[in-house]
Amino acid sequence: MDFGYSAAEQAFAEEVRAFLRAHPPDTFPPDGTDAGYGSGAHSRPFTAALGERGWLSLTWPREHGGQERPMGFQLVLLEELAMAGAPFGPLAGCLQVAESIIRHGSATLQREILPQIARGHATFWQGYSEPGAGSDLLALETRARLDGDHWVLDGRKIWSSHAGIATYGTVLARTDPASTRSRGLSMLMVDNRLPGLEVRPIRSLTGQVYHYEVFMDAVRVPREWVLGKPGEGFGQLLHGLDTDRFWGRFYKAPFLRRILGLLVEYVRAEKPDDAVARHWLAHAAIEIAALRALFHRAAWLIEQGLPATGPVSAAKVMADELGQRVLSLGMELLGPYGVLRAGSRWARLRGEIEHQYQTSWGHTLAGGTSEIQRTTIAVRALGLPAEPRGRG
Amino acid sequence: MDLALSPAQQLLQQSARTFLQHRCPPERVQELALDPRGFAADLWKEIATLGWPGLLISPELGGSGGSVADALALVEELGRACFPSPFIASAVVATTALGRAESRRARDLLASLAMGERICTLALLEGSAGLDPGRLTGRKLFVPDAHVATDVLVLASGPAGPTALLLPMDRAGIAAHRLDSMTGDKLFELVLADVEIRSDDLLGAPGEAWALLTPALRVGALARSAEMAGAAQRVLELCVEHARVRTQGGRPIGAHQAIQHACADSYRDVESARWLTWEAEWKLATGRPDADAAVAAAKAYGGEAALRVARRAHQIMGAIGYSEEHPLHLFHKRILAASLDAGDATQNLDAVARSIGLA
Repeated sequence: MDFGYSAAEQAFAEEVRAFLRAHPPDTFPPDGTDAGYGSGAHSRPFTAALGERGWLSLTWPREHGGQERPMGFQLVLLEELAMAGAPFGPLAGCLQVAESIIRHGSATLQREILPQIARGHATFWQGYSEPGAGSDLLALETRARLDGDHWVLDGRKIWSSHAGIATYGTVLARTDPASTRSRGLSMLMVDNRLPGLEVRPIRSLTGQVYHYEVFMDAVRVPREWVLGKPGEGFGQLLHGLDTDRFWGRFYKAPFLRRILGLLVEYVRAEKPDDAVARHWLAHAAIEIAALRALFHRAAWLIEQGLPATGPVSAAKVMADELGQRVLSLGMELLGPYGVLRAGSRWARLRGEIEHQYQTSWGHTLAGGTSEIQRTTIAVRALGLPAEPRGRG
Repeated sequence: MDLALSPAQQLLQQSARTFLQHRCPPERVQELALDPRGFAADLWKEIATLGWPGLLISPELGGSGGSVADALALVEELGRACFPSPFIASAVVATTALGRAESRRARDLLASLAMGERICTLALLEGSAGLDPGRLTGRKLFVPDAHVATDVLVLASGPAGPTALLLPMDRAGIAAHRLDSMTGDKLFELVLADVEIRSDDLLGAPGEAWALLTPALRVGALARSAEMAGAAQRVLELCVEHARVRTQGGRPIGAHQAIQHACADSYRDVESARWLTWEAEWKLATGRPDADAAVAAAKAYGGEAALRVARRAHQIMGAIGYSEEHPLHLFHKRILAASLDAGDATQNLDAVARSIGLA
C-alpha cells in the first residue's frame, strides 16, 4: 500500500506553497463570507489567481483545455490551500460543475462555460432545495417548459450558497409536468444576469450573508443550457451529490489540522501545564488523522472508478461532526475570550474560533444532512432495507 | 497513492478466511474461550504448515520473510475469525524482537518458531524481576498463554538498567499461575524464584531492553489495531445480518432509521480505523518521521472505534447478543483485550500529544 503522493504531486505541492508564500492569502480581498468548510472566504481575485496558474483545470481532458493531471494534483491543491487558510470558497463548486459539463454538458455549455471556469471568472450556486423540499428534494415544485429554443423557468430555490455573488446557478427543475418524484427532472444552467431572476440574501446566525433565496419568474434559459438529457436530472444529481460530498468536504481534515495547530499554540502559551487540554487536543489530533485517512481511501476509490458512496458519506458525517467537536473544544479552551469577535481588542486567535464555531452548526445540514448520509450508508453501502416512504 | 492490498496479500487473506471459516467457526472459539486452559494445538500445527508463524521470519531460518503489511493482512483475518492464539505475542512481537537480537539463541528459537515447534510469550508488564549477577527473582503479570509457551521474553531490571532475557519456560524456578480474566484470553502471573541466568540468556546488551522491545511493540500495536479492525468488521456484518432478518411489527428492524444510523456509525468507525492503521503501517515501512505518532494514533483510535462498534452491537442485537451462546461477547472481549495490549489509550495519547508539540 502506498499512501504517499507521487514525486510530481509533491513537487506541485511545493509549487503551491511557494505561490502562497509569495502571495499571502490575506492579500486577496474577500467578496463573500467564509462558510467554515475549510475553503475560506469567497474571493474572486484569489479564484482568478488560481486560474492564471492553470490550477482550475488540472484534471480536465486536453480537448477542453485541461492538463490531464492525475486526481492527486487536485487533492494536493486543496490540502495546501486549506492548510494555509486561503480564500478558495468557490473552488469546490467550480470543480464539480466543470466535471458535470465535461461529462454531461452540451457542446454549447462546454464552449461557453469551461473557459470561464478555467480562468477563474465563473463561480456557481446550487439550486436544489426549496421552501417545501429540503431533505426530501424530490418534492420540488420548480418547473421549466420548453417554448421554442428556450426553457421557461418558474420557481423558487432556497439556501443557495453565494447565489448573490456567483455568476451561474445549476437549477434542478421538473421539465415533464406529467412526471412524479425522480423522473422528468432536468438540471439547467442559469446565468445570473437573465431577466426574471431575483436573489434575496438570508442573514445567517453568524451575522453574515452566505445563503440566498432565488426567485425565478419566467426566466428564459437557452434550450441547450441543460446538463445531460432532459428528464435525466435526477441521475445526474445523484452522481453530483456523491462528488459534491467528497469535493465539498475533502479539505476539512487539513482545515481542522490548522485549527488544531492554533489551539496547540494557544495552550502552549497560556496554559502549558493543563493536562486536560493536552489530552483533548491529542484526542482531536487522532480523530483528524482518522478523518484524513478515510477521505484518502474515498479519493482512491473515486480515482479507480470504484463505488465510493459509503466511504464518501461516512467521511462527510465524520468531517462535519468532528468539526463541531473541534470548534467546541476551541471555545472551551479559550474560555470567555472565545466569544469575542474578530477585531475585538481582546479576541484571541484573531477571533477565528468564534466564527468557525458558529458556521460548524450548518455543516451537518448542508449537502445532505447527517441523517440522510447515515441512511445512505445503511441502504446503499450496507444493504439494509429502505424505510417505507410516506408517498410515492 | 495505491490503497489496495498486493495480489499476494489478497490471496493470503482469502486463504486465511476460508481456512478459519472451516476450521475455526464461532463454536470452536466459544469452546476455547470457556475452557480455562483452552488452546487449539491442532490449529496451531495447521497454521504452521500454512507458514503463518514464520511470516515475519527470514527465509534462511525457515520463515517466509514477509513484511509487516503481510502480517497485518493476515491478522485482520485472525481478528475477523476471533481466532484465539498466541499469534500476536509469539509470531509478531517476540519474533520482531528476536529478529533484531543478534544472538545464536535468538536465531535458533526463530527457526523453531517458524516450524511451529515452539511458542514464545512475553513477560513485560507490572511486577518486577530483579537481575542480580546470575540470578533472577520477582514476578510479572499478564503473561499470555504461559501454559503453552515454550519460551518467554522477560523484561528484567538489572544493574545496567532494563534488560531483556530469553528463558525457556521449563527453567527451574519459573512458575505460571493462571489469572482469571473475563476476556477469555489465557493470562498468567509468572513467578521467578531465584532463576539461574546464563550468559546466553541475555537478549541484546544489558540495560538496552527497549532497543529491542520498542520496535517490536510498535509492530505489535499495529497488529492489535489490525486485529481490532478485522473483529469490528465482522461485528458490523453480524449486526447488518441480524437487522435484515429480525422482524418486529411486520418489518425488518434494519428498515428503522434508529438501527440504520447505528450501523452507519459502525461502518464509519470500521473504515476509518482500518485506513488509519494501514496509513500508519505505510509510514512505518517508509521511515516517515511521524511514524511512531501515527502508530500510536492508529492504536488509540482503533481501540476506541472498535469498542464503539462492539458496544453499539449489543444494542442492535438486543437480548440474544447478551447470551453466552451468541458470538458477540467473544468479539467484544477480544477487542477489549487488544485495546489494552501493546500500549493502551493513555500511553498512545501521550505519544500523540508530544507529536503535536505538547510536551
